[in-house]
Amino acid sequence: MLAAHKLDSPERLRAHLAQGREVQEMRADGQGGWHWQNLAAGDGLPFEPPPRPPLTSAKPLFFAEREALFRFDGGTFYGCLPEIEPKVLFGVSACDLRALAYQDQFFAQDEHYQRRRRQTLLVGYDCGHSCAGGFCTAVGGSPLVNQTQADLILRRNGHGGWTLLVASQAGAEAIAALALPQAPEDWTAERDADLAQVRAEQGAQAEITAGIAAIQAASVEPERWEALGLRCLGCSGCTSVCPTCSCYAPLEQREEGGALLHERVWDSCLYTGFQKEASSHNPAATAGQRVQRFWYHKFGTAFAERFGAYGCVGCGRCDVVCPGSIGAHGVMTRISRP
Amino acid sequence: MIDSTPRPMILEDAYADGEDARHFQLRLVDPQATDLAAQPGQFFMLAVPGHGEAPFTYVRAPDAEGRFSALVRRTGQLTEALFELQIGSVLGYRGPLGRGWPHDLTGRHVLVIAGGCGLAPLAGLIDAARDNAARLQVIYGARHPGAQVLARERARWRLDLDYLETCDVASPGERSGSPVAHLDELLGQNIPDAVLCCGPEPLMLASAEHCLKRGVPAVHIWLSLERRMHCGAGLCGHCHIGASYACVDGPTYNYEQYLALTRAAGLYSTAQAIRHC
Ligand SMILES: Cc1cc2nc3c(=O)[nH]c(=O)nc-3n(C[C@H](O)[C@H](O)[C@H](O)COP(=O)(O)OP(=O)(O)OC[C@H]3O[C@@H](n4cnc5c(N)ncnc54)[C@H](O)[C@@H]3O)c2cc1C
Ligand code: FES
Repeated sequence: MLAAHKLDSPERLRAHLAQGREVQEMRADGQGGWHWQNLAAGDGLPFEPPPRPPLTSAKPLFFAEREALFRFDGGTFYGCLPEIEPKVLFGVSACDLRALAYQDQFFAQDEHYQRRRRQTLLVGYDCGHSCAGGFCTAVGGSPLVNQTQADLILRRNGHGGWTLLVASQAGAEAIAALALPQAPEDWTAERDADLAQVRAEQGAQAEITAGIAAIQAASVEPERWEALGLRCLGCSGCTSVCPTCSCYAPLEQREEGGALLHERVWDSCLYTGFQKEASSHNPAATAGQRVQRFWYHKFGTAFAERFGAYGCVGCGRCDVVCPGSIGAHGVMTRISRP
Repeated sequence: MIDSTPRPMILEDAYADGEDARHFQLRLVDPQATDLAAQPGQFFMLAVPGHGEAPFTYVRAPDAEGRFSALVRRTGQLTEALFELQIGSVLGYRGPLGRGWPHDLTGRHVLVIAGGCGLAPLAGLIDAARDNAARLQVIYGARHPGAQVLARERARWRLDLDYLETCDVASPGERSGSPVAHLDELLGQNIPDAVLCCGPEPLMLASAEHCLKRGVPAVHIWLSLERRMHCGAGLCGHCHIGASYACVDGPTYNYEQYLALTRAAGLYSTAQAIRHC
């Protein structure tokens, strides 16, 4: 059972956690965009989580969009590992935390990722309503933060205030000095009500369920995938915004002074040359084959068994960015039609 | 944790060994027990500073001094740069990576089918199997005689192995056509216990189907699948075959695994894709 505290204001919690840590929170840019921002000392702006998942998930904060792996000085190769200060991600939604838990497994042996992860305290945020386009409840997720996927969980309570749930030892230690009072016991009932509310708002999502079944049965004919492929511009929008996508490519740079730097940069399995071999053989030569692979990776049984979860958390970002309308709903609707 | 930093190795020697191919003699500066345990069919990532890393198989696995060899065909940026390097140059090494050929060949009838550069990952296996297999048969196909690689090794095998060569375009009087066309003649009434195949993917798939029809169980037909590889650690995503990453689960798969992976993933070939366009 989680420990639950009454919290007068999330801003007080945030200021407290900022002692000895860098705090990052999503902030609006005034043009409809939201970005992770390092908060300046004494930042007192009200905590206002974005109304729907912003295009940038928590992914780039751990799996950097571009980073150095090693350097060569002419005689020796030197590993480049990031030096990370303790930090807090404040107000991460359940879907993004679920994606992070997926990445934690995938990058379990990746020191670059894990260095950032080890230094980060995660403060999750329960959604009381479904965001537009969200379908977390149809893919095994929930609008409520999974207690194994965060250190602290913030939620608005039914009395116009806030409840703080303590989900890990690190979370308990981080707030010990605040000596917060216990929360009224109705918080579990309130969480149940939130879940029911979001389920009702998201509805049955029948096309998602049917699409997953079709992918798992490998029953979608090549011509359907090829027709979907015609809509894929290979722009990498979906793979960039997807919080579980993790492919990367190498990049060689010459530094000032002559040393060579080997970096990795985000890549996309939807690019034409992603699997092209030096022999010019390309096992995924058509856009349809690549689209097929992308969705198999998200919903295929073997991957779901390996990770204990789908590689799709139902955030709906791909639906928002895809210029060809083949985000999750676009694809699932088309492959589940008889 | 995965170490993505290469270890240094020295380019000790190289000689021309087939069309656009060179046989490189390399030496690890600080060989480790894992290097000495490298198995035929495994591979390593070779870093040419400034040009990136690429996967290559061992022709000869590292010895106690860290010396080993690799056969490299010139295909692009990295291999081009490698061919231009001076003897003594420092290169990077990460390995051994992936899974090699099956080990349990002792006392078995083994058939090796190689095409083009696909002979490279089989060379170490051929040398091991000649000592412990009950019977070893090798067939090697190339586009034309000039494209054949590993001349020194083949000269040796020709002397004391059941070894056949064929070329798509052969010299007059020589054997011609795909290795698959010669399998019935080579095998006669016999069914091998294990088939190991490496070459262009269409050759491997045709060989596998042929052997399957002749009664070799799919689990005893082994293929070494080439996929584009960058990390060699199951992370960059490039080498996927269905739910598998060839850099860690492969590059050798038995045919049953290959069929199961592609079926479960609903993968279809480019030929099937084009038919539907
Ligand atoms: C397990 C394994 C073992 C191997 N063993 C051997 C071996 O023993 N000997 C051997 O000769 N080869 C071997 N290969 C193949 C070898 O890895 C390639 O030949 C090598 O990577 C070529 O590198 P390159 O930089 O010279 O070519 P590149 O310049 O990288 O590529 C040549 C071609 O690849 C494609 N390509 C490369 N990068 C891109 C891109 N960014 N976008 C689109 N297309 C691109 C293009 O068609 C390009 O013309 C092996 C491969 C694998 C997977
Ligand atoms: S080479 Fe990167 S995942 Fe296999």
